Amino acid sequence: MEWLQKISISCFAASYLVVFGIELSRVFFQFELRRYVRIGFTAAGLFAHTAFLIYHTQLSFDSQGIWLGSWFGWCLSGAWVLAAVYLWLSLRKPHSLIGMFLLPVTLMLIWFGHSFSDAAPFSPGRAKTVWNMVHGSSLLLGTVVVALGFVFGIMYLIQSRRLKQKRTGSFRLPSLEWLNIWAERSLIGSTVLLCGGLASGIALKMVQQSSASSSVAGDGTIPWSDPVIWTSAVLFLWLLAATIISTFYKPARRGRKVAYVVTISFLFLLLELVIVWQVGHATDKQAHNAPHAPWSVQATRSVSGRALAAGSLINLDPLFLAKAPQPAASALRLTLGGIS
Amino acid sequence: MNLQVIGCSHHNSSVSVREKLAFTEDQVRSFLDKYHQSFPKSEAVLLSTCNRTEFYAAGKSADGVPSSQQMIEFLADNRGLKAGEISNNLFAHQDRAAIAHLFSVAASLDSMVVGEAQILSQVKQAYQLAVDTGHQIPLTHQVFQTAMKVAKRVASETDIHTTRVSVPSVAVNVLTKQIFERLADKRILILGAGKMAEETLTYIAANGGKDIVVTNRTRSRAEGLAEKFNGQIAPWDALDKQLIDADLIVSTTGATEPVVTNEQFKSVAQKRQAKTLLILDLAIPRDFDSKIGDYESVYLYTLDDLQKECEKNRQSRQSQWPKARKIVEQETANFFQDVHRRNSGSTIALLKKQANEVKNSELERLLSRLDRLTPEQEAEIEQSFHRLVNKLLHPPLKSINSDQSSEAGGLLDAMKRLFQLGD
Repeated sequence: MEWLQKISISCFAASYLVVFGIELSRVFFQFELRRYVRIGFTAAGLFAHTAFLIYHTQLSFDSQGIWLGSWFGWCLSGAWVLAAVYLWLSLRKPHSLIGMFLLPVTLMLIWFGHSFSDAAPFSPGRAKTVWNMVHGSSLLLGTVVVALGFVFGIMYLIQSRRLKQKRTGSFRLPSLEWLNIWAERSLIGSTVLLCGGLASGIALKMVQQSSASSSVAGDGTIPWSDPVIWTSAVLFLWLLAATIISTFYKPARRGRKVAYVVTISFLFLLLELVIVWQVGHATDKQAHNAPHAPWSVQATRSVSGRALAAGSLINLDPLFLAKAPQPAASALRLTLGGIS
Repeated sequence: MNLQVIGCSHHNSSVSVREKLAFTEDQVRSFLDKYHQSFPKSEAVLLSTCNRTEFYAAGKSADGVPSSQQMIEFLADNRGLKAGEISNNLFAHQDRAAIAHLFSVAASLDSMVVGEAQILSQVKQAYQLAVDTGHQIPLTHQVFQTAMKVAKRVASETDIHTTRVSVPSVAVNVLTKQIFERLADKRILILGAGKMAEETLTYIAANGGKDIVVTNRTRSRAEGLAEKFNGQIAPWDALDKQLIDADLIVSTTGATEPVVTNEQFKSVAQKRQAKTLLILDLAIPRDFDSKIGDYESVYLYTLDDLQKECEKNRQSRQSQWPKARKIVEQETANFFQDVHRRNSGSTIALLKKQANEVKNSELERLLSRLDRLTPEQEAEIEQSFHRLVNKLLHPPLKSINSDQSSEAGGLLDAMKRLFQLGD
């Protein structure tokens, strides 16, 4: 399967970019075959994206960490879900200009992933426990659903404004009713998923603390002072309150209110992600220098995986090797030596 | 081919004339039967809609097809009228103009609402009725099949059909779809029971609207409308209760003062709990206070707002007009080229056959009179005759082949008559 190695981020990012351009052109002129071109490019981009994710996950499958457990893999997986949702929506609502709002979020996630490609992976020292998997996947899906809610909310606000101003031409958006329903669903969905992510994260932290023999806080209490935990708790409480109020009080789930709630939730989530990244949550920076740290295996696979993906197995940039963590670079040199 | 069309449409005749010349399906059948008895050598199709009645007649030769005057007389006689009563209200086209007219009609370029889709099915229906009479109509078959192809081409290559231009159709097909995903589960309140209300309800029902409530000051009119659309009637006094429950309101009353004031709507808005409401105020003067549109979940559209949208759509259609006309012109030219190619092919074959027969008989006669000719000499004479015939036929054949104009039919007829070729 050598062709898999040749698929790079540029392949699918470029496809999505073309689709975004096509979506933009819908505002200005009509073109009969555009729908098919748009769906074709999206499907091609999604195929390349899927192949890229599968290939890199396979590379890291036997290691203690998994490839997706890094900012790089996490962002690309989130972008994949958004792209898949876009393809589904463009088949279901072919005349609506959804891509103009959804694709920038998708492309931004890919760009973030690319920018964080050198960041340390999450939980490098941890085994692949059920709590780890539930925590990671719930937060990933929760983030994606919040992002979707944000897109639906923004579309609702724009559509509502256009209709109030009696401007119905130039481009089409889904109906207010549809946008309202899906913004509300995404609010409920993100609450459930982030609840799962928060609960599993707390459980994970407690399990870690109780198993650490030298830990001061090894008494099973929740470490509320951790900024990631308290900001996550605040975000969750915000979503929970919004969900409860909208469930029991009709006016709160109608009109622009849901749109505002999901938009604020997204901004809240962005803030939390910045905090998570700043404090280096779930990463073990010290492990970079530990000669036999378990993450070195993960790093080796991650680095070699990216090198393979770039199609530059032999002609690796010396700077790249120099920048790579020492154990990873050594293992990579060994691998290359073995191949050549 | 000889094709004639006479008829009337909204362009050149009043409703009263169009009513007199309107046909039901059974009347069309009877009309066509009588036509074939009177003009057995030709074919006919009758298109009758609320906006036009068009009578097409076609035949291989001009003498088989009735003249325009004969067609007018036949049509008038069939409707119990005198030709003079209607002749000033009718148009008449022949051959190329008749074909171009039919293509324009089928493509909805000649309709009152340009781009409306119904006309194509009406053209198909008219053709089908002509087929069902059991008479052979190979010429009109060719013309009508091409007309349907042209209509489809115009529909697919232009946006002339995509935009809506009447107020009720824009209100229901464009506006409600931007607010509601479906109408089946929405409460639709109709204020007033006039023509506009009925027309709007037709579109609402076609889009799945079921839960319809009609309220009107005159209860009997509301009953008639509600019955037609399986709706309910609400007393005019209970208007506030209906305003609270409604998702879509269509207001078309003839009231001179607003039916719903802002003060009145304040208490209604509270009880609605921010539920989305679309109000289509199609009345002049307006039935709803314009301030009602300021409520967050209320979308108030007046007749003026919708007419602006209609005008925009009309302009959009106008911009597509030249493209659509060009398609019709191209297809008309292509159609005539095809017809000409087929007709000239058979005429040329007949001419060559006749010339060869003359050549062979003269050659035979000459060779029987000349003795002691060597085979080479015989071949030389034969070759000479052959060249002579070809040289004589070359100029007329070249003229037929190169002449693609509408007069080509005349040239072919002249050729047939000059050389007595027959059919």
